[in-house]
Amino acid sequence: MRIVAFIGLAVALSGPLTATEPVKLPYVYTKWRQFTVADGLPNDHIFAVKADGPRVWMGTEDGLAMLDKRTGKIKSWGEKDGLPWKVITAIDVDKKTGDVWLGLFGGGLARFSGGRFDHWHQLNSGLVNDVVYGVAVQDEYIWAATTTGTSRFNTVTGEWAIFNEKNSPMEEIWNYNVAVGNGKVYLAVWGSGMLEYDLATGRWKDYLDPDGEMEIDLYRDDGIIHVIVTGASPADDVVWISTYFGACRYDGRHWRGYYNQDSGLASDFINNAKGRSADEAWFATDKGASAVTDFKTNTWVTYTRDTKGQGGKAVVMRDRGVLETVELPVGIPHDFVINYDIDGNDIWVATAKGLGWGIGEGYYPGLRERPKTPTKTAAVKGGVR
Amino acid sequence: MNRIALYAAASSLLVVSWAALQAAPKKPVYVGVRVCAGCHSAAGTGGQYDKWLLSKHSAAFAVLAKSEGPEIAKLSGLRTLPQDSAICLGCHATAWSAEDWEKDETFHIQDGVQCELCHGPGSEYASLEVMKDRQMAMKAGLRMPDQDFCINCHIEKGSHVAVLNQPPLDVKKGWPLLLHPLLPNPRPGPVSGLAPVDAKTKGPKYAGVMACGKCHRGPALGNQWSVWRMSPHAGAWAVLGTAKAKEIASGRGIADPQSSVECLKCHTTTQGGARLDGYTLDEGVGCEACHGAGSDYMADAIMRDERSALAAGMQKPARETCTHCHPGHGGSFDFSDAMKKIAHPTKLPPVAQDPRYKTPVRMALRPGGREIYVTCEAADSVIVVDPGMLRKVAEIPVGGNPTGVTFTPDGRLAFVTNRLDDTVSVIDAAARKVVATLKAGNEPHGVLADAAGKLLYVLNTSSNDISVFDIQSLKRIKNLSASNGPWSLAMSPDAQRILVTNMKAKFAPLRQPFESEVTAIATDRAAVEERAVVPDANLMMGVAWHPSGRFALATLNRTKGTVPMTRLSQGWTITNGLAVVWRDGRVDEALLDEPDMGFSDATDIACTPDGRYALVTSSGTDRIAVVDVEKLLSLIGRLPRYERQHVLPNHLGYPTEFVVKHIPTGKNPRAILIMPDGRRAFVANTLDDTLGVIDLAKMEMTGTVDLGGPKAITKQRWGEQLFHNAFVTFHRQYSCNSCHPDGHVDGMTYDIEANGIGIEPVDNRTLRGILDTAPFKWEGTNPSLSRQCGARLAVFFTRLAPFTPEQLAAVDYYVTTIPRPPNRFRPLGAALTPAQRRGKEIFNRTTTNDGRTMPELGRCVTCHFPPYYTDRKRHDVGTKMSFDRTGNFDVPHLNNIYDSAPYLHNGMAATLERIWTVYNPDDRHGVTNDMTKDQLNDLVEFLKTL
Repeated sequence: MRIVAFIGLAVALSGPLTATEPVKLPYVYTKWRQFTVADGLPNDHIFAVKADGPRVWMGTEDGLAMLDKRTGKIKSWGEKDGLPWKVITAIDVDKKTGDVWLGLFGGGLARFSGGRFDHWHQLNSGLVNDVVYGVAVQDEYIWAATTTGTSRFNTVTGEWAIFNEKNSPMEEIWNYNVAVGNGKVYLAVWGSGMLEYDLATGRWKDYLDPDGEMEIDLYRDDGIIHVIVTGASPADDVVWISTYFGACRYDGRHWRGYYNQDSGLASDFINNAKGRSADEAWFATDKGASAVTDFKTNTWVTYTRDTKGQGGKAVVMRDRGVLETVELPVGIPHDFVINYDIDGNDIWVATAKGLGWGIGEGYYPGLRERPKTPTKTAAVKGGVR
Repeated sequence: MNRIALYAAASSLLVVSWAALQAAPKKPVYVGVRVCAGCHSAAGTGGQYDKWLLSKHSAAFAVLAKSEGPEIAKLSGLRTLPQDSAICLGCHATAWSAEDWEKDETFHIQDGVQCELCHGPGSEYASLEVMKDRQMAMKAGLRMPDQDFCINCHIEKGSHVAVLNQPPLDVKKGWPLLLHPLLPNPRPGPVSGLAPVDAKTKGPKYAGVMACGKCHRGPALGNQWSVWRMSPHAGAWAVLGTAKAKEIASGRGIADPQSSVECLKCHTTTQGGARLDGYTLDEGVGCEACHGAGSDYMADAIMRDERSALAAGMQKPARETCTHCHPGHGGSFDFSDAMKKIAHPTKLPPVAQDPRYKTPVRMALRPGGREIYVTCEAADSVIVVDPGMLRKVAEIPVGGNPTGVTFTPDGRLAFVTNRLDDTVSVIDAAARKVVATLKAGNEPHGVLADAAGKLLYVLNTSSNDISVFDIQSLKRIKNLSASNGPWSLAMSPDAQRILVTNMKAKFAPLRQPFESEVTAIATDRAAVEERAVVPDANLMMGVAWHPSGRFALATLNRTKGTVPMTRLSQGWTITNGLAVVWRDGRVDEALLDEPDMGFSDATDIACTPDGRYALVTSSGTDRIAVVDVEKLLSLIGRLPRYERQHVLPNHLGYPTEFVVKHIPTGKNPRAILIMPDGRRAFVANTLDDTLGVIDLAKMEMTGTVDLGGPKAITKQRWGEQLFHNAFVTFHRQYSCNSCHPDGHVDGMTYDIEANGIGIEPVDNRTLRGILDTAPFKWEGTNPSLSRQCGARLAVFFTRLAPFTPEQLAAVDYYVTTIPRPPNRFRPLGAALTPAQRRGKEIFNRTTTNDGRTMPELGRCVTCHFPPYYTDRKRHDVGTKMSFDRTGNFDVPHLNNIYDSAPYLHNGMAATLERIWTVYNPDDRHGVTNDMTKDQLNDLVEFLKTL
């Protein structure tokens, strides 16, 4: 921990890089749109967002909403429309069928298919618990992360399997998230780190904090940084991990940890992670949307909002040095970020006060030599793009 | 070393540490009766083994091969031969449902009902050390059943009574005969008498009758093993243990005939010959006694060629073979007569087969218009009809119970769903040959290729989903969620949308109205884009688009399940009609019944190419209704909103405004096809084995195409016709089929109780394979099907003179033959999944998670006893509702339970889980509240295998 603090201090003392140096810079989202109840959302607390072609699904504290990217119009469904439970904490879309799977906070699991809601809960099905934090589609299986383990539902046979302390290395059973990728299923577990289920072998592997310390990271990059894991997001051949004490990246062999004090992370309190590639990932913190945009150079962009109005700013950082600050007439809706989805060049940001749509015109991955973005950009208001 | 000898040795030598047993309890496995014989064959124990060998129990498996077996199986709703049927084996064999690992290699299912069926799998208690202490043996799994246990199998079975004409065994009377107590101070010992043989002895060796039985047990080889097992030869060794044998032996100065070489030489296959491990004396006179030691000729490759077998040592028995021993103890011996008695030809004598009807159910016109493919459910074939010549031109064998049929747009391939096999046959239409078979979901029904010929949609009516196949690769690419029982489908004229009817209504909570769904698939995405809700409708089957593409028409029933069925006498409790499903998902409903004549079981629909008429079949009244579409639309258009929503769907006066004619058809018209030129239509007269030809200008049936079915009408077929016809009900509102489509369930609840005030609804129950599950009715008050279908039908349903006695007998007979589909979750003999295996443990458990002994009635298996998983008694499981007359309800059988939701007597449990998560708070429906969620999941997975 002392070593980490020292490095952070050294970087901070080195000061910001000057604007005259030829610097390769990451892409910065400068065009944002915000969607709130004023635009038709049933509630501003957006817990989950998932893009499916032109449809962007949102799970809110008071129902399901769908934004049509083409028209900017929002449609919503509440309990009166057949939604089994109004608080939606997770969404995934079955790309083959178009069915939308919903994790319900206290209400179990639902499928929205062709306008019909189907409902599975712990009384009418094998779902282990009705408090569902995460949901993921894996071929014909639906995984649901709950407070008492993770359930897997076979949509063809109807079989339910439960993974908990009995049949997996789950030391604690409070599952925060589930994600599928790279032939694996990843569980983010409060107090039990990240669990990896190999789809080919059916075997589990656990990733726990090697130093076992709750408050400090004793040895840098020796493993997952903390056992209270909130999200795991595979991308390319790596997995990005969020915890309430920082973030990390694992490529199957090497670990890399990130803290607010030595990276561009806005905060170590991270609700979720979304990987875009092996080099780029977005972290949903309580103090803004932070993205590591170039892994190799530890270059970050963090988006925050102004306390007044719709504006905000994007700060480009390398390690702890600020490379660029971009003022945004419209920024993310709120600094308490809960969830993301990446939709081609665009980014969707679910926050405690509405949905943000980062329009990725001219997006490029990694770094590119470019002039610094002027501090004033053209305003993009809500409504017509 | 012989495994049995090993066990015998273990019996006397093995010292088992009971402490070790307690520390690591093993899963007991079945060891087979010969292991028990290791101790229990000795006279010193009471000769239990001999007694069993001479009992009917030992031949229980073999008797399934008797000529009566297939008829009994048929009356039990089984499609397989008895020796391959879990239901039959459930009472005729031991460990019939066990996995391979649960059976030691010394176990043989051919031993029928042997020790371990009653006393439990023996591996953990079989040793002498354990068996000497009854308490220890019981802890290790030994069961000592009482008479009630026997009654579970020896209870009266309608199928057996009907065929064998025998009363069921009186267990109380039979019990003393069955008892086989140990003698005081028993002196156990194994089967003895085999002479020692030098292991190095060369030459042919005796392999034992079980080795022969591996190949010679099925009907393909004349059931020869079973024939032997039922012969006196099989008991030749065992009879040596009888008092009579001992008396004869005593007269010759022999103390123990089972140890006497003199006796054994004629009462066993061999006493001193060289032998393989599988041979044991107790088989009596086995195959090799006549055909010679088999080790050198028993290989399959040799036995397939008689000359090779003879060259390898197989003997053909001659007179001397028999006279060597016969006549034995006096009497005479007639060789030719004896040969007849023990005849066991490889070919079974021909028996009269039931006529095989065609039962056409669906049709499709091959693009080009020159061939109609007709799926024939009962013939497992597709018949090709030339619509010009009006004759059958070919018949193509396909899978079991073919149902739906469609063509690719180029007419090159046809696809046929096989409902029994869960497959789709791919037919090369030019060659008229099946060229591939696809695995579909459960009970595939409707099938349709898209307009581009790229995707194939298959409706799996039992698993409630739609399989989408890539036609080029013939691979399934995804499953779409349907509603309840997807049935038929039709593509819009612009090919953009496919509508799917769902035969069953969605589950509705107790006493709530139900609704059905028409599922809309967007063909560009091959995904469900909309689900039209059809209030108060059920049994939605046929669907056809109007040529305008503005709407589709679908057939429906409107069964008023929330009113008491006593209102049937006032008419129109069950009504029949059609739905107009508009392009935007709105739905209108109208009836096709008229005040004095119902239109029961509206089944299929088609529109004329000009869109002027829609033709709807009524399979329950043998008619086609000709609907003037414009008049129907005009009526809908002029009605105020309230009338359109609430009056039109129920009004019997309106049909006369748009039904312009009724065309009589043959029996049970279930499908209709209109030719592209709009001049003719064909109707499948399902229970006539004909296609009716409709002249659309005259709107008359002008001819028929004979599909070649048998002309004689059997009792079963007559019963089938009666079952599907509404003639017996008031104004022909409904047939038996209206509530029991496919002889199964409609997923609804009805109030059919005597008080008639609609407060005691009961769940509809399946008719598949029910004969042996009497009594009937949830209250279990109807002892027989004839009462259920006769007097009770008249009192509560028809309110008219019921069937004549002859008709009733035919209907009853047909009902008993309605087959139960094979279990989709576990074919016979298949290994269980880990979850199913864990669930089986829970089903059979006797203690709770915290070690408390569960009361007998708190165990699943007590009341749900195999093979039907019912004790056929009534129990109060705590589900009595405030208006129910009683809380004692008939224990339902659990076979294919996954396929008959909802559950409990009033259908209040939509899923199996809810039976225990909601409706068993006091552990009255089994002790279940100690179970964890994963244990309940496992139990449900096991229940689905039954």
